[in-house]
Amino acid sequence: MKQSVVVIALFAAVMAALPGFLGDNPYIADILITILMMASLASAWNIVGGYAGQFSFGHAAYFGAGAYTTSILLTTLNPGIPVSIAAGVLVSCVIALLTGTIVFRLRGHYFALASIAVAEIVRLTVLNLDITGGAQGILVTKVSFGSLDLNSKVPFYYAMLFLLLVTLGISALIYRSRTGYYLLAIREDQDAAASLGINLYLFKNIALVISAAIASVAGSIYAVYISFIDTSTVLPLRLSIEIILTTIIGGIGTLWGPVLGAVLLVSLAEALRSNMIGEYLVNTGMVSEGSATGAFLKSNLAHAHVLVYGIITVLCILGLPKGILGFFRRKGEA
Amino acid sequence: MKKKLLEIISLSKHFGGNTAISNVSFNVEEGLIVGLIGPNGSGKTTLFNCITGYYSLTSGSVMFDGHDITRIKPDKACRIGMVRTWQRVKPLGNLNVLENVMIGAFSKTRSAGESRKIALAQLDLLGMSELSSNTAGDLPIGLKKKLELARALATSPKLLLLDEICGGLNNTETLELMETIRIIRNNGVSIVFIEHDMKAVTGLCDRIVVLKSEQKLVEGTPSDITGNHDVIAAYLGKGYKHA
Repeated sequence: MKQSVVVIALFAAVMAALPGFLGDNPYIADILITILMMASLASAWNIVGGYAGQFSFGHAAYFGAGAYTTSILLTTLNPGIPVSIAAGVLVSCVIALLTGTIVFRLRGHYFALASIAVAEIVRLTVLNLDITGGAQGILVTKVSFGSLDLNSKVPFYYAMLFLLLVTLGISALIYRSRTGYYLLAIREDQDAAASLGINLYLFKNIALVISAAIASVAGSIYAVYISFIDTSTVLPLRLSIEIILTTIIGGIGTLWGPVLGAVLLVSLAEALRSNMIGEYLVNTGMVSEGSATGAFLKSNLAHAHVLVYGIITVLCILGLPKGILGFFRRKGEA
Repeated sequence: MKKKLLEIISLSKHFGGNTAISNVSFNVEEGLIVGLIGPNGSGKTTLFNCITGYYSLTSGSVMFDGHDITRIKPDKACRIGMVRTWQRVKPLGNLNVLENVMIGAFSKTRSAGESRKIALAQLDLLGMSELSSNTAGDLPIGLKKKLELARALATSPKLLLLDEICGGLNNTETLELMETIRIIRNNGVSIVFIEHDMKAVTGLCDRIVVLKSEQKLVEGTPSDITGNHDVIAAYLGKGYKHA
């Protein structure tokens, strides 16, 4: 526990100082904000998926519910950013509890299946309501928060950093508390856990609600940051899956695995999307531009980041079942 | 007359058209070790599953410490002081031995430090201290059985339901474990004990209940049982004719 606190504090100090070194580059800032956001989302997912072993395939629902609730409130009643974020958390927790109270009575893969269904229900509902702007989405403008300049990326960097630190703090706290031990016991063997006095239903719901609340705050901050949301940006199944892949590749069930996964995958996705990798291969002469391979890479690699995620995931599952962090940890112990 | 801790009253359990337990009744008095024996498929483990809430009963009722617990949930059963071990062991495989036992201890305390203390004391009692940091899933079967016991004891139960805890142990280990179980009883924990090892059962139990073909065949002291011709015919075999 003490060790985790020290490491989190060090991480906080480094990340807080980082913008000062990188200067005012909006492109880099955007990537960093995305990394912090994915790290928060993956860490939140890790509480219910990694600790309690309950795989949610619908975390985009909580992210999206936070984003939409906050955006709707800010563009209508405008009760201020903190209240709008809190309202998002409330909506996400209600969705989480509706799912959990029904599905956690069952064991096995029902929760995974139901989480996809609930996320799709949320997405389709949002797509067909007037208040959510339907397919047009919501433009979140004229938002202010004290004297902060919300056109700058800096406040959002620190907001996402703060969220990640809180998430890591909560994860570390849970991990070393009775709740954490209980979640691990549920992951390992539900019958044994029940025989030792653990209320499976209660603790699975606790894990899901905490996780959903964090994902919701990430969605709220993102909505204000990006100023425009629609179902394809904040509610897609793709997002739910990326959250899971980030956690698994980084190291499921560990404190820092999700963060490591986010750093690697967001950077990789960006390198692919900006075609940096394709151009590098051609420019260094590793692949000739005139060849069929070169032409293919140059035109298609940029769209292939999900494919590359998939390949990495398969490799991880085959070679590093405990993720990259789990791999090094095991090496360290040996 | 000692206080009845557990009362099983006309308990029956059917799975569809199959009868697993039919109209079984017996009591466990406080401070006793009760052996539950019977051929394979006679319903011993099913009975445990019914008492601790893993199965719902078809008919009958169960009382524990004066309360009706017929429809209790497994986790609640543990919290009111009735804990079981598993014949097919269920270690929390990726956690270490200490963590396994701590999870049991958390049923009586919220503090991680306190539960660590209880768990270490429990492991010490069972002579498993040096295994604390071993991964539970990697232990050999005999130690996994002992871990089941340690974990169950850490919940500080009034009644301990042991399902073939000696299976997979050699003779010396069985004798040691018998001694440990006697100590546990002397510390005030009542025990119901499913076992096939007759030496263990007759040596340890105050009373023995024999199940056969889903029903209670007979109940009595070890000497009653080993002298009973029905039991010998049904279960013990020729080797115990002169027992």
